[in-house]
Amino acid sequence: MSDVRQPALAVEGLTTEFRIEGRWHAAIRDVSFSVARNETLALVGESGCGKSITALSIMGLVPKANGRIAAGRVLLEGRDLTELDEAEMETVRGRAISMIFQEPMTSLNPVLSIGFQVEETLRYHTSLSNREARERALALLEHVKIPSAARRFDDYPHHFSGGMRQRVMIAMALACSPQIILADEPTTALDVTIQAQVLALLAELKAETGMAMIFITHNLGIVASIADRVAVMYAGDIIETASVEALFDHPMHPYTEALLSSIPRVDRDAGELKPIAGQVPPITAMPAGCRYADRCPLRVARCATMPPLVPLAGDRAHQVRCWVRAGDGGQTP
Amino acid sequence: MLTYIVKRLLVAVPTLLAVLTVVFFFVRIAPGDPAFIILGDQASQQAIAAVHQELGLDRPMLVQYLDFMSTVLRGDLGMSLVTHRPIWSEVANVLPYTIELTLTALVIGVVLGLPLGIAAARHRNEALDYAARVFSLLGLSFPAFVSAIMLLLAFAIELHWFPVISEARPGDPLSRVSALVLPAINLGLIMVAYVMRVARSSMLGVLGEDYIRTARSKGVPARVVIWRHALGNALIPVVTVVGLYLGVLIGNSVLTEIVFNRPGLGKLIVNSLNQRDYTMLEGLMVIYAFIIVIVNLLTDLTYGLIDPRVRQR
Amino acid sequence: MVVALSALLAPWLSPHDPLEQDVLLRLASPTADFPLGNDSFGRDILSRILWGGRVSLYVSTVAVLVAIVVGGALGILAGYIGGLFDRIVMAAMDVLLSLPTLVMGLLVVAMLGPTVGNLILAITLTAIAPFARIARAPTLTVKERDFVEAGRALGFSNVRLMVVHILPNVVDDILVMAALWLATAIRTEASLSFIGLGVRPPTATWGGMIREGFENILDTPWLAIYPSLAILVVMFGLNMLGDGLRDTSDPRLRHE
Repeated sequence: MSDVRQPALAVEGLTTEFRIEGRWHAAIRDVSFSVARNETLALVGESGCGKSITALSIMGLVPKANGRIAAGRVLLEGRDLTELDEAEMETVRGRAISMIFQEPMTSLNPVLSIGFQVEETLRYHTSLSNREARERALALLEHVKIPSAARRFDDYPHHFSGGMRQRVMIAMALACSPQIILADEPTTALDVTIQAQVLALLAELKAETGMAMIFITHNLGIVASIADRVAVMYAGDIIETASVEALFDHPMHPYTEALLSSIPRVDRDAGELKPIAGQVPPITAMPAGCRYADRCPLRVARCATMPPLVPLAGDRAHQVRCWVRAGDGGQTP
Repeated sequence: MLTYIVKRLLVAVPTLLAVLTVVFFFVRIAPGDPAFIILGDQASQQAIAAVHQELGLDRPMLVQYLDFMSTVLRGDLGMSLVTHRPIWSEVANVLPYTIELTLTALVIGVVLGLPLGIAAARHRNEALDYAARVFSLLGLSFPAFVSAIMLLLAFAIELHWFPVISEARPGDPLSRVSALVLPAINLGLIMVAYVMRVARSSMLGVLGEDYIRTARSKGVPARVVIWRHALGNALIPVVTVVGLYLGVLIGNSVLTEIVFNRPGLGKLIVNSLNQRDYTMLEGLMVIYAFIIVIVNLLTDLTYGLIDPRVRQR
Repeated sequence: MVVALSALLAPWLSPHDPLEQDVLLRLASPTADFPLGNDSFGRDILSRILWGGRVSLYVSTVAVLVAIVVGGALGILAGYIGGLFDRIVMAAMDVLLSLPTLVMGLLVVAMLGPTVGNLILAITLTAIAPFARIARAPTLTVKERDFVEAGRALGFSNVRLMVVHILPNVVDDILVMAALWLATAIRTEASLSFIGLGVRPPTATWGGMIREGFENILDTPWLAIYPSLAILVVMFGLNMLGDGLRDTSDPRLRHE
């Protein structure tokens, strides 16, 4: 990956807070990353680490009643989305950035036909006539390989299986050929075989359109197969970011290491399979220093202050947020 | 959709038959010989027997039952004991007034209640929402006759905006409208409270659903998200409540008709009670049962219209 | 609460006998001795309101309690036993529901006569079906849960299972309903009394007082207004209570 290209999307210092019992607590803190055209960035972490909040913050869909973006910028080809008002944001969503959600069973409106729901994206972002929009929507449904799409165009979501619904979601997201697509655990709720089909479809569509993709998952197996780069999140912070190869071969952060050894792998003994001891600290009681310190076997006194995300000497694209590991130049995995 | 309608119709028929059966037995089981009620306690044996024969009460229960069912289903409700005119024509005289009143109230309730409920849900925990919630609690707390009396006091007796005794003069459409206003507002406002309450709560539920987030993520304008994506789903419990409330509305219309001295089924029922018009009461029960079964049927059909999932069942 | 208490204590609180008539004080304006004035028979309105509340609350509370016991038991049994019994019970409930509350109350009282017992019966009949429904739904879900299955496997009797495991799960819902139905019951009782089918005069009831006041509404509107306010306060309080109970018993709070 060359870094000279202007990124399709750059997130800088993004902090999103939620009000819990009258006080604001950061759910994600100082999150920065960028993704280039034709690139897939995987955001990885346990549930509750802030992956989805990051995506919703980019989309401007953080619930206003109790949430806010407290700091940072979301730059879409140089334009800061956090500055836009709701009406301007409506013209960005679905056209420049689309999102695919985790739950295909509940993410489609049960009382509207799937054809209409795909068509709708086009209706608000293009000047197509109703008939043209319908034709384009049908073409999209065929493109995502819905069998006999023409006949099923006016069917309702409850007629479709989870995998088929997720295809409909993908068709909706792709309708206006967005520059960026945010996929929030798009295959987690699906059976393994369907999962593989949907992943293959996404990879194929990405290659075809050259869009950038941010793929949110907790499944490292999927990361290896779909992503170019990975950012690992823990308790609202990005703690390590690297190319897929570097991350899998030389994980630097003790949490990444632990994550990798907590998934079963064919090339290792089952005896090496280790769950991570301890708990993620709750959002209302975040420690001031490194948030992983409590669970970390390498903890030193310095961990009581927050380490910065710093690049490794040998690989500038590989960054890690750890006092112990950042210092040794990435020589010891 | 057509098969759904046919299915609902087929379900409605046995319900109606069951309700009619209950009406029949309820009236028979009630203590007190109707003959005594008609003739008084001092009546002679012959007079009682004559009344029994007139009413067909001397026949075996089963024969009475079959006879009742077959005449009712042919649309024949019998004669009034007091006026000796067919019950159906007595009912037909006043039914338009009751229908006019309940339908107007229904329209007021939905047209005001739905947007208010939606607005309250969108502005949850803001001033508008609190005002709406207090109003709806108040509306739920008013017995219909109390609110009717207060409206009457305020707008007819104090302000003289409307006639105290609402009488629609034949051939004078204006008098008919002015006679309708206060009673319809009375029933309508109570219904606004019900509709608003359930619209707010179901809207709050729906707004938290994943598919609303999906619609927003597509860049659908907020207004369209509310009115097309959310409302379609939020309407289902609202329809349920409107259907249920129609039962309450029928009861409340009785009270409203009394307070405003308005002709209608309610006044008919109270007059028959006072006059011990036993066959009339039976006929009215049958009418009410019919109305409720029809309302339930319409409610079910509305579900089918709104929710594609229901149509399949 | 205040209303319930004042109704309970009516015999001691009320300054005058609610039936005591004083022709000299017919329709008199409020005085220190008679704070809300007197009605057309010269009876003290405050005392009548206090005593009337007693009747309304007594009738409504007993009716709702009976409805809870009968309806709750029918609902739990129907849900637990299932099959044909369930179908018959629920069909019967549908029929009960198909007559409007007030019309049903009217007919029962009109047929059987306006006594306290019949009033209670009439109101109970209207309230059984909703309680049966609300008790049945959670029973159906609880029945399928593992701990009931486990209990059955351990050989516990059906009665024990119903009482120990199912009852606590439906109590919350029933309490919320009870507050709301108590309000409905008071409204039905007052409505019946207003129509003239309540407890017979001269016993004071709110509905009956409003009826008497309404007959003279052009001259002495306050006779109708005071008891109306009393009803409103009670209804409002009960509805608030019902709402509050629901909020605390339903942590999800996405409901109404």
